Amino acid sequence: MQQIINPQGALVCVALNDKSQLAALSDRFHQAPYLKPATQPVLYFKPRNTRSNNGSVMPYPSHLAEDQALYVGASLVAVIAEPCCRVSEEQALSYCAGVTLMHDFSLREESYYRPDIKGKCLDHSAAVAERITPLDNLGALDDLVVVTQLNEQTEYRFPSVQMQRSISELISSISHIMTLQSGDLIALGFAGERIQLCPEDQVISYIETGEASTVVELKNSVSKKVASSALTGQGAEQ
Amino acid sequence: MKTARIVVDNEVLEVSVDDAGTLRTAAGTVIDESVVTWLCPVENPGTIFALGLNYADHASELAFEPPKEPLVFIKGNNTLTGHMQPAYRPDDIDFMHYECELVAVIGKTARNVSRDDATDYIAGYTLCNDFAIRDYLENYYRPNLRVKSRDSLCPIGPWLVSTDEIGDVSNLQITTRVNGELTQQGTTADMIFNVPFLVEYLSGIMTLQPGDMIATGTPKGLKDMQPGDQVVCSIEGVGSLKTPILSEQQFYGERY
Repeated sequence: MQQIINPQGALVCVALNDKSQLAALSDRFHQAPYLKPATQPVLYFKPRNTRSNNGSVMPYPSHLAEDQALYVGASLVAVIAEPCCRVSEEQALSYCAGVTLMHDFSLREESYYRPDIKGKCLDHSAAVAERITPLDNLGALDDLVVVTQLNEQTEYRFPSVQMQRSISELISSISHIMTLQSGDLIALGFAGERIQLCPEDQVISYIETGEASTVVELKNSVSKKVASSALTGQGAEQ
Repeated sequence: MKTARIVVDNEVLEVSVDDAGTLRTAAGTVIDESVVTWLCPVENPGTIFALGLNYADHASELAFEPPKEPLVFIKGNNTLTGHMQPAYRPDDIDFMHYECELVAVIGKTARNVSRDDATDYIAGYTLCNDFAIRDYLENYYRPNLRVKSRDSLCPIGPWLVSTDEIGDVSNLQITTRVNGELTQQGTTADMIFNVPFLVEYLSGIMTLQPGDMIATGTPKGLKDMQPGDQVVCSIEGVGSLKTPILSEQQFYGERY
């Protein structure tokens, strides 16, 4: 099953899919520049330079502004099994090979108004676990919890019932925008509060199912702080 | 040198294109243009970066101040569409418009490249039509994927022109014609952030890889597209890219 994920394929992430985050930001989203809440899923791409995997080391950004930091969010990821074009919510799950996990390393989400290229497109910032769990092995999809630990302390638990839009709804609506291909990925939603990171931190996430078993583990670390000169040329391609 | 990627008899070919538009295979065989299906001229298309509001006249046309920093968004590879291949207008919308744009194609891995060195990292140029569905704009990661990343919304080609052949790209005429009528006219001289600047800017954020593309924005001159329209985007020294517009039903057929 593992080989199905296409590291050159699309990785579409769903932002603002945490009900409590949406409630907390509701006033702000009625003001400029947003004016009204989004009527459609809020989506962003993680382009191919961002792709990395289980066990990878996220380079700590070398030239952060003083008030900036590196953050991480964890998300369930739907793995697309076959070409998926304009499918209904009822059909959607049959196009899904299963789920895995991703860590989305980024700068702080300060604004949702413009595409966040600077914050979201850092090299190696989309770590995707290779292991896929078929939906049949997960039990009820409403009973999943993504658990994330920072340096072995549990930092957050994000239950799938906290998601504003379900996996079926998201596969369906995204497939009406773009034809998805086998191996494309949809990161379904992140807890609104992302975890601030320091150099050399360890981040582990796993999926807890309704039967309290755990599936898919994703483990990443953050590099030491490096001088910006070390990130030029070939060094950055490793 | 101009190179195109085409399909003839179910076979993908890379061909050269001479000044008369004649297509030749590496072995020298001339290909009849009337039997080819045009593909994206970039063999392994990577990330498609596109610029919003990168011409001051277009920014004012949309009632925006010209940006102080590049407004960059990403288009999905599902949008890529060859020359002469159709794009579709969704049902139930009021405004779908073209955007004729010069596209720089990255030729080698670029990280923290200065604008003075940027040209060395560009394999060549092509042009695209960065279509947008304005009805679907929402103020979240705007322009959102539903506006810019639908299937067929990035016709590109017909070919790739090498950097040495095209030379200076800082003052190329841009024109768009809809059903033969001139509807957009501008010049790359009016770009706010030029190609070397954009290579420096993007490569300062992330590693650019061969096959990544930067669509550099469009000048003033928007017009609604309807099924049955033919739109031809042209850039001096690059070529002309023709796109027929279909309805959603015509485009998706049994998937509609």
